[in-house]
Amino acid sequence: MKKADWASPLIGAIGMAILAGPCAAAQTAHEQELYEAAKKEGSVTWYSGILDQQICDHIGQVFSAKYPGIQVGAIKTTSQVAFQRLLQDVKAGQVQSDVFTTTDIGHMVFLKSKGELVQYVPEAEAGLVKALQGVDPDGYFHTGWVGLAAIVYNTNKVKAADAPKDWSDLTDAKWKNQITFGSPNYSGMVGVWTVAMEQRYGWDYFVKLNDLGPQIGRSIDDAVTVLNSGERIVGMSSVATALRSAAKGNPLAVAYPASGTLAVISPSAVIKGTSHPNAAKLFMEFQAGPEYSKILVENFEQSLRADVPPSPGGKSLADMKLFAPTAEQIEKELTPNKTKWRDTFGM
Amino acid sequence: MNRQILAPELDGPDVGRGGAQASPGPVAARVRRPFRVDPWSLIWIGATLILVFLVVAPMLRLLISSFQSTETGAFTLENYVTAYASQRRLIGFGNSLLYGAAVVLVSIGLAVPLAWAVARTDMPGKGVVRATVLGAFITPSYLGAIGWILLAGPNAGWINRAWMALTGSSTGVFDVYSFAGLVLVTALYAFPYIFVFTADALDRVSSEMEEAAHILGMSPLRTIFKVTLPLVLPAILGGSIIVFLDTVALFGTPAVIALPARINIMTLQLWQFFEFPVRAEAAAAYAVPLVLITVAMLGLQRLILGRKGYVSLTGKSGGRQPMPLGRLKWAVLGLCLLVCSLAVFLPYAALAQAAFSRAWGQGFSFANLTLGNFGYLFNEASSRQIILNTFTYSAATACVAVVLALIVAYVVSRRLVLFGGVLATLCMAPLVVPGIVLAIGFYAVYSSPPLALYGTAAILVLGFTTRFLPIAFANCMAGLRALNPEMEEAVRILGGSRLLAVRRVVVPLLKKSLVGTWLLVFIPASRELSTAIFLVAAKTRVIAVMILDLSENGSFELLAALGFFLLGVTILIVLIGYRLVGRDFLLRKS
Repeated sequence: MKKADWASPLIGAIGMAILAGPCAAAQTAHEQELYEAAKKEGSVTWYSGILDQQICDHIGQVFSAKYPGIQVGAIKTTSQVAFQRLLQDVKAGQVQSDVFTTTDIGHMVFLKSKGELVQYVPEAEAGLVKALQGVDPDGYFHTGWVGLAAIVYNTNKVKAADAPKDWSDLTDAKWKNQITFGSPNYSGMVGVWTVAMEQRYGWDYFVKLNDLGPQIGRSIDDAVTVLNSGERIVGMSSVATALRSAAKGNPLAVAYPASGTLAVISPSAVIKGTSHPNAAKLFMEFQAGPEYSKILVENFEQSLRADVPPSPGGKSLADMKLFAPTAEQIEKELTPNKTKWRDTFGM
Repeated sequence: MNRQILAPELDGPDVGRGGAQASPGPVAARVRRPFRVDPWSLIWIGATLILVFLVVAPMLRLLISSFQSTETGAFTLENYVTAYASQRRLIGFGNSLLYGAAVVLVSIGLAVPLAWAVARTDMPGKGVVRATVLGAFITPSYLGAIGWILLAGPNAGWINRAWMALTGSSTGVFDVYSFAGLVLVTALYAFPYIFVFTADALDRVSSEMEEAAHILGMSPLRTIFKVTLPLVLPAILGGSIIVFLDTVALFGTPAVIALPARINIMTLQLWQFFEFPVRAEAAAAYAVPLVLITVAMLGLQRLILGRKGYVSLTGKSGGRQPMPLGRLKWAVLGLCLLVCSLAVFLPYAALAQAAFSRAWGQGFSFANLTLGNFGYLFNEASSRQIILNTFTYSAATACVAVVLALIVAYVVSRRLVLFGGVLATLCMAPLVVPGIVLAIGFYAVYSSPPLALYGTAAILVLGFTTRFLPIAFANCMAGLRALNPEMEEAVRILGGSRLLAVRRVVVPLLKKSLVGTWLLVFIPASRELSTAIFLVAAKTRVIAVMILDLSENGSFELLAALGFFLLGVTILIVLIGYRLVGRDFLLRKS
């Protein structure tokens, strides 16, 4: 992460040199057509609820290098804030964001039902890992990022052999007062985790967890801070955040659960009423393409494509068992789960 | 109170008279010829209009949306039902009020003795104490809370581990994940409000009344409680109200401490309205009663202060003699340093482990030491830009807020308008509405036409100014209460305009207090997240937003380094700030 940030101007320059040449030549007819139309629009604005501002800026730079003449205005906030802004913009009749990426699939379901999204299936989507294709059967929104949730532990306090192997191992009495995780009431990813765990083990899973006195944080990433501090020693966390921290030398390791690592898909979509519809579609193509996944991997995030290998220490989506509740399941289960969560954990 | 009996006899009739009540403002206004355009009138009318724009527009949107259906936008009361018709929500609301009150009490206990020691005694090291207290203030709540988790976490906290090692006990001595922990950690980063308010007020009080009490045989301790502190009651109350409102609307510390401790706090519930399914309108409805709490607070303040007089600065002001403490001064300094340790030295010692490490989870080792985290902050162009943005916007905010607040406070305290109470409420309301709710109003008002300020620095400065105006306003009110209008009247009698009176009398007399006010706006503005996150664009990012990115990344090493940097810069700004205003004129005798 740190190295990538230092090197980002350099990478940008190299990227410009490499990408502007061969990739431009490799453009498909459809891409070429979009690019020509997008050039007239000149820019694309991206409301991003994923990654951080620097990575988003870097993505914009690489995009502009590949498609000269189209500037990217990337605005990174939390998904909730980006969604609120978007709603305000729509209400005021001033659509500012051409492309919106959110960690909360519910936002997309809502926007789709209100007719605020443009139906568009990127050609490049065919190159995505199978599990990430066709998130919306109607083609209104598409995978823009995938967050993995797995078991993470402090290697100073837990030996690899003793670490939990599967989600069910977390309910072992030996972890009493040693577990930490986030809350579905503040984190969409944790919310999807509750949907997945309930499907698999029933709600009783959480009742058992509560008996072990877990420390409940807010965001899914809070677990990494708590584990590093040594206050708790095992937890459920985002894989990318744990890998990034571990790459610096922190005593963290990821255990990919045997029965399936949780994949939480963050969708992207083109917003209806934008004045840059072609540039927006081109950006959607770019998100499904290899350059974008390469940037993700440089930052310890998960590659969306089989042809882009994972970061050192990471694992390819093709090599792990995945568990990904559908948008419909999430939509149906999440709200009642939040209530159940409050009843079980008291918060 | 004894002071009221004492004061008129010893200091002449001017002291005992209530400042605000005795104001001849309306009289002066009446005598004025009706058609002469006084530049002062233009200024205050202008300021009032700006205020209406800054505060009323977003607040009105908040109020309206609380009555709108999420789906259709039609009028409805269902948001209030969603927001309040649940036992859990009501308990959260009650807990928040309790939390606010407890933080106020602890803050007073921390702030008043320190303010007294710094302002009125000959204790050594005053500058350092003042600067450290304000340094504590800039600590982002997320970082301060984590610093305390490292110190007092029940399993791995330093204090608890040391305790267990020393006593052989199987449990620690202090669990930060408790109501007491929540209150202490919040108070440690909120008490600077009361400290600055009180220290400023104490700076203005001349020694004459204390000397009089001494002559009449009162013990020094009794003098403090019967004479000195009652005189600065408006300042303590003003600071307390700010602390209360700020705490009730706080999200950062509760998110890190109350949530794991499973303490149900209102703001924690409020944020849930922004998770799917989003009910921003219900959040607005949940926040509306907080404005009523502000009104209640101001009413309570009026009730407590009553018709008593708090004028300490008069036309024939005497000097101020620091109270000689003798050998006791080291004990007092020890107490001050203890508070500084709790707020700064200890948590930052814990955070140093992260700030100077490559990988903080490894613990201390020489191989793990690095200055790279600091290097990153200065070498990376985007973080330099972010730091520069933050300080520029916060400084601009502080300047605008101080000028605006001084004008409005003057208008209100000298009773130049009939609707002063309304104006005062308007000035105080933005603080209590949780930032995330208010921010939606800001975004709606400022980013759409005709203003279309989105993407500019101006939108951030406007948003911050609105949000922190209450602090500036409360401090200016406390300052003006202590100022006898007779000096301004003298200017008027001699033919000077009211503008001249403000410029040449009020401002110079309150200059130290104004610097304090400036800092009290500057510091929270530079750490404000909830407003900022709605209003920033790619080029106008500020530190608070960067901190959020870093915390979501798990880049705790950089985050801690940033905390140290902020602490250092603030201490420097405070030391320079007070050096620039110089010694205050009351000290000329000493």
